[in-house]
Amino acid sequence: MLTRQEVLKIAQLARLSLTDAEVAEYQKRLGRVIEYMKDLDSLSLPKGAFVRHVPLDAPRFREDEARQWPDREAIVANAPLAEENQFLLPTVLEKET
Amino acid sequence: MNTIQELLEGYKKKATQPSTVAGDFLDRIESTNPKFNAYLEVLKEKVIARAKELDGCAGQMENLPLYGIPIAIKDNILVKGWSATAGSKILEGYRSPYTATTVERLEAAGAIVIGKTNCDEFAMGSSNESSAYGVVKNPWDETRVPGGSSGGSAAAVAANLCLGALGTDTGGSIRQPASLCGIVGMKPSYGRVSRFGVVAYASSLDQVGPFGNCVWDNARLLEVMAGFDPRDATTSQSTVGSYTGRLNSKTLNATTIGVARDWLEGVDPEVLKSFEAALATMKAAGAKIVDVAIPHARYGLSTYYILAPSEASSNLARYDGVHYGHRAKGVDSVESLYSRSRGEGFGKEVKLRIMLGTYALSAGYFDAFYTRANQVRALLKKDFEDGFQKCDTIAVPTSPCTAFRIGEKVDDPITMYLSDVFTLPVNLAGLPGISIPCGLDDKKLPIGLQLIGRSYDEASLFSIAHQFEKLRGHFPRAGAK
Repeated sequence: MLTRQEVLKIAQLARLSLTDAEVAEYQKRLGRVIEYMKDLDSLSLPKGAFVRHVPLDAPRFREDEARQWPDREAIVANAPLAEENQFLLPTVLEKET
Repeated sequence: MNTIQELLEGYKKKATQPSTVAGDFLDRIESTNPKFNAYLEVLKEKVIARAKELDGCAGQMENLPLYGIPIAIKDNILVKGWSATAGSKILEGYRSPYTATTVERLEAAGAIVIGKTNCDEFAMGSSNESSAYGVVKNPWDETRVPGGSSGGSAAAVAANLCLGALGTDTGGSIRQPASLCGIVGMKPSYGRVSRFGVVAYASSLDQVGPFGNCVWDNARLLEVMAGFDPRDATTSQSTVGSYTGRLNSKTLNATTIGVARDWLEGVDPEVLKSFEAALATMKAAGAKIVDVAIPHARYGLSTYYILAPSEASSNLARYDGVHYGHRAKGVDSVESLYSRSRGEGFGKEVKLRIMLGTYALSAGYFDAFYTRANQVRALLKKDFEDGFQKCDTIAVPTSPCTAFRIGEKVDDPITMYLSDVFTLPVNLAGLPGISIPCGLDDKKLPIGLQLIGRSYDEASLFSIAHQFEKLRGHFPRAGAK
């Protein structure tokens, strides 16, 4: 079980707002999973053994070419708020006093 | 016509045409989907228009290996003009501005996208219960889950609401629902199939793969969509070739099957009995059965639930309420724009995994969790490499149990995660795995056999699975127990 402060700290790092009920629930659920993960502690592990998950023949580089996206309207159509084919954001900067 | 193979034969004989077939499937979806909740979106007019277009291409059938085949697409794979919710409220109303490479290739081969299927939110789950759009019901028993995360795709195939479907598999999300729904599901090798246009969960583990009613159907879908994609730098340039043309390339009397006995702990006795019977069937047909050791498989669950959430916590950072997706109202700072949009938009399991990943990557815990898990992943990969020195395929049950009741495992995350104990290590090692129905338990629910193959040797895996399928004979459909 994690403490309330621990859950709030992780949620803040993850940019997630949680209700009080959620905090209480994640104290248990998150704590339960983290406790289970500690079974790896029993293993004696060699250092520096990392997996290369990308196939060996996969191309690592491509030409850095600018390309025009063909359908700008379709992208902006998914915006929570848009104006004149541009993303519109709420005002978040405080006024200088 | 119950399979892709049979329908293609039917088209060749001019027994039917795409618009008739699409109409039949649309009617069935309209009457049956409310019961199963397998589809989230079916754009009837688009489907009919596409089918009519194909009616006029009958002369080109020879060059269209999926001519007129209705395919369902998991709702975390993009199809231009269709929804892509990934099972999440945060993407409600999103319209895909482009099409994933996999779907592009299926459509170029003549397939008809018939609908977008329900799934666990952001593909995080083993029961489809984490979808923001309600649980999918298993066509074999509507009080039970279809498995997850690609539960909608599996249920749609099992309920005859399409002939094939695409899913994604990050830790078992194709193979486990295929097992629980009594159909064939394949996770290809990492890098075999393009991830362009797929909503990212854990990028070093995610793969797109097919569902079908038989091995041939599965092989046809994969041979069409696999291969190098310049838009996904992790795809391999190695040749794909014809999988359907090589289904008889491997005979069982020339096949050695490895069994990792120490990995089989905690399996339901009915599942174990069916698994042993499948091995005995293949042995009787000449296959050699040998013991192999995969000692780190038991650490697969912990390893996966450190690495996958770590990658997810980074991948899902893009959902910030700025460019697309849910935006909280009345925010007064950048911080509250992000955290409230995400807090309101994400569901319970997704928040859990984002926080788990954030924790594993945070200062003070990185080495103890993330670094350590990567080291175990390397050891696990080596276990499989050693195992494949002795055999051609490694067999395990796909799932330790058959379809469980809705709500049965939601209270304890670890109990739910253990559903994937036989599939997670395969993703961690980047290997291909196929689930094929091998029997029914005493409740008449399907049991799946998983065959794991060498990296990039999907052809042998399909061939061995096909030989087993022939020996097993007819497998009942859901609703016809």
